[in-house]
Amino acid sequence: MKRDPSFTSTAAGVAGNAFNRRQMLRVLGAAATLPLLSGLAACSGTSTAAGPVATTSSGAAATGGAAGATAVGGATTSSTASGSLSFVYYGDANQQAQFKSLFAEFNKINPAITLQAQGIASASWATFSNTVATRIAGGQIPDIIQIATEGQRIFASKGLLEPLDPYIARDKALVDNYYADIDPNLKAWTTKYGSTDGKTYYMPGGYNTVCMYLNTEILAKAGATVPTGDWSWDDFKAAAQQVKDKTGAFMLPVGSGYFTDVMPWLTTNGAATFNADWNVPTFNTAAAVEAVTFAKSLIDAGLAPKPGGAFDAATNMSNGKLAGLAGGRWPTIDMRRLKIVDKVQIVKWPKKIADGSPVGWDAWPITKASKNKDAAWEFIKFLISKPAGDYFATIGGTIVPARLSVAKSASFTTNAPKGSGLLSDAIAYATPIPSPDRGAEIQKTIEDAWLKVISGNGDAQSTLEAANTKLKTLL
Amino acid sequence: MARVRARTNDWRGYLFISPAVLLFLIFIAGPFVAAIVLSFYHWDLLTPAVFSGTDNFRALFSDPLLWKVMGTTFLFAFASVVTHIIGGLLLALAVNRAMNKVLSYLVRTAIFFPFIISWAAVALIWKYVLDPTFGLVTYYLAEIGITSPQWFTDPHWALVGIIGIDFWHTIGFTFIIMLAGLQTVPKTLIEAARTDGANSRQVFFNVTLPLMSPTIFFATVITFIGAFQIFEPMQIISNGGPDDSTMSIVMYLYQTGFQSFQIGYACAMALLVFLVIMSVTLLQFIGARKWVYEE
Repeated sequence: MKRDPSFTSTAAGVAGNAFNRRQMLRVLGAAATLPLLSGLAACSGTSTAAGPVATTSSGAAATGGAAGATAVGGATTSSTASGSLSFVYYGDANQQAQFKSLFAEFNKINPAITLQAQGIASASWATFSNTVATRIAGGQIPDIIQIATEGQRIFASKGLLEPLDPYIARDKALVDNYYADIDPNLKAWTTKYGSTDGKTYYMPGGYNTVCMYLNTEILAKAGATVPTGDWSWDDFKAAAQQVKDKTGAFMLPVGSGYFTDVMPWLTTNGAATFNADWNVPTFNTAAAVEAVTFAKSLIDAGLAPKPGGAFDAATNMSNGKLAGLAGGRWPTIDMRRLKIVDKVQIVKWPKKIADGSPVGWDAWPITKASKNKDAAWEFIKFLISKPAGDYFATIGGTIVPARLSVAKSASFTTNAPKGSGLLSDAIAYATPIPSPDRGAEIQKTIEDAWLKVISGNGDAQSTLEAANTKLKTLL
Repeated sequence: MARVRARTNDWRGYLFISPAVLLFLIFIAGPFVAAIVLSFYHWDLLTPAVFSGTDNFRALFSDPLLWKVMGTTFLFAFASVVTHIIGGLLLALAVNRAMNKVLSYLVRTAIFFPFIISWAAVALIWKYVLDPTFGLVTYYLAEIGITSPQWFTDPHWALVGIIGIDFWHTIGFTFIIMLAGLQTVPKTLIEAARTDGANSRQVFFNVTLPLMSPTIFFATVITFIGAFQIFEPMQIISNGGPDDSTMSIVMYLYQTGFQSFQIGYACAMALLVFLVIMSVTLLQFIGARKWVYEE
C-alpha cells in the first residue's frame, strides 16, 4: 500500500517529453494523489462487486433430494448426490495438505461429487470468519463453511444458513449414532451458541482444549517432577523456578493470545471474559485480576520470556530452552516435525481454584444459497463419520476428533505425546471460548489489555476495568 | 479530406487511451463513486444495506479513536517525511561523491535492497532483531549497559520502532529519487560557482539545493501520501497496539470495514482520508511556490 515503486519507472519514462523535468516532477507529485482513490476502491470494491448479499431462500430443497445410503455405524457409502460442491475451511499450507488427503477419501466414496475445497490461512478464527463474510459479500458463497465457535452465532443470526433439521431427520440413525459418540457438551453448546431461533444450523465437529506440553527431559534435568494429575499454580511456579535455576530454560511463554494465554489462566481461577450467555463481560473480576497478575509474575521472575518478540516456542522447546508450551492438539504436529514426541508429555493446566480450559469447536453448516444442498449434506455426513474421523486423526489433524471412540483410539494417540487423552478429557470441564458477534474486536480488546498488564505497562485492576468497559460497548 | 483524416485520427487517439480509461473507470472512478454512495448507508456485508443519511459522517465527529489514530498517522507521516527527506538527501550526497563506480553501485544496491523486500518479511526480521529476550539489539544494548526498550509492548516506544523500521525499509526509494535529482544538477553551474570562489557549503546551499528543490518537493509529496496510507507494519508487527498507539488511519478504516463490518462508516472515513491527503497536498503545492526553484 505504501510507496508504489512504479513511480520510479514512470518518472524515468517521461523524462524526455515536452515538459521540463521540474514541471514533470510537479505533475507526478499531483498524480500521486490518485492512489488515494484506490484506497477508497479497496473499501468499496467488495461492495460494488455484489452489493448487499442476496439471501435466496430455498428452504424447500431441504426436504427433497436424494439421500445417500448410510451405514448406521457411521461409515457413509456412495450416494446418488452429484455435482459441484464448494467448501471453505481454516488452514495453513500444512493443514491444507492434511485436509486434501481427507477430501480425497471423500471423493473415493462419492466420485459423482466434485468437491472444490479452499483453505484460508488466517491469524485467528475470528479473522477467518471475517474473511469468509467478506467473500460472501463479494458473491462467493460456498456450499459449506467450516465455522469455529468464534463465528457460529453471527453466521446463524444473519439468515445465511439453511436449517439442518430436515436433513438430520432424514438420516436420524446416523446422526443419533454420532451424537451418542460425542461429548454431550458439544451438542448442547452448538445449540446454545449457534442457534438463534431454535433451528439447527450446525453439525458440531472436532474441537480443541488447552493443556500444557512439557519437555520431560528438561524437567528431569532440573529435578522437577512431571505432574501426573492435578497441580496448583504454586506447584507450577516452584517447578518453573527449579527449571530456571538448574537449566536456565524458560518454563512457559506467557503471551496474550486469547485462547492459549488468557483463557487458561482465567478459567483455572474460576474466571472468564464473559458470563455463560456472552452478554455480560466479566473481565474485571477479582479472579481475572489475580490471573493476569500471576501471569505477569512469571515474566517478572524470569520464568517466561518477555512478550512482544518473535519467540518460537516449539523450536525453543526442542532446543532445550523452553520446558513447556500451551496448546490443544496442534502442537503435536510440531512435536512430530521436530521429532520430540517421545520427550514430551501433555499435562493438565495448573489450577488455582478449579480445572479449567477454553474450548473451541468446528461446526459445519450448509448455506442457504447453496445450489447443491444434498451433496453438501453428504459431505457433512462424511465428516461426522467414524472412518473420516479415524483417517483425519491418523494423518495428523490439528483438532481433537469429536467422536470419543476416535479420540480415545490408537489413531489419535499413536505418535502423539503421552497424555494426549487429557485433551479430550478437558472438554468435561472446559469453558466455551466467549465469542459474541463482534468477535475480532472483542478478541483484540482482551488481548491488548492482557498484554498491557503482563508487559508492565498498565496496572492490572484499572486496565482490565477499562477493557471491560470497552467490551460492554462491543456487545 | 483533411477534416475526415483528422476525425479518423481523433477516433484512433481515443482508441489508444481507452484501455487506460477503462481501467481507471473500473478500478478508480467506479469504486470511488460506490464509496461515496455507501457512506450514506449502514451495511454489515451480510445483510441488505440500509440508508442512513448523514449518520456516518456525523459519527466521524464523535469517535474519539478516529481522532487519536488521525493524530498518530500525522505524527508518523511527519516523522517519515522528515527522516526520509534528510536521510535520502544525505545518502544521495554521500554516494554521489567521488566514489569509484563499483563501490557506488554496491552502495546504491545495498540501500535500495530493503525496499524490494515484502513488508511481511521485514516485519518478521525486525521482530527477531528487536525481540526483548533474544534480539540482537537487546543483546548489544545490554552489552553496553543499556536496557532495551520494550519496542512493541510499550506505547511510548512502539511508534518509534515502527518509524525506524519503515525508514530502513523505504529509504531506498527516496534515496534513488534524490540521487537522480542530484545527478541532473548541471556541473557547469557548480564549476562556475567554484570559479567565483564559493566553498562547498555555499555551493550546496546556493546552487545544488535550489536546483534540487523540485526533486525534494516531489519526494516530499510522495512520501507524505505514502506515509499517510501506512498500513502493513502496524497490522503485521504491532496490530495497532499497544493501547492503539500504532493504529494508523488506514488500519482503523480496515478494521472498521472488515472486522466491525461497518462498511458505510468505513467509506465515510475513507472519504475523510481522501480529503485530508488532498488538502495537505494542495497546501504543499501552494507552499512550493515560495521555495521550489523554477527554471
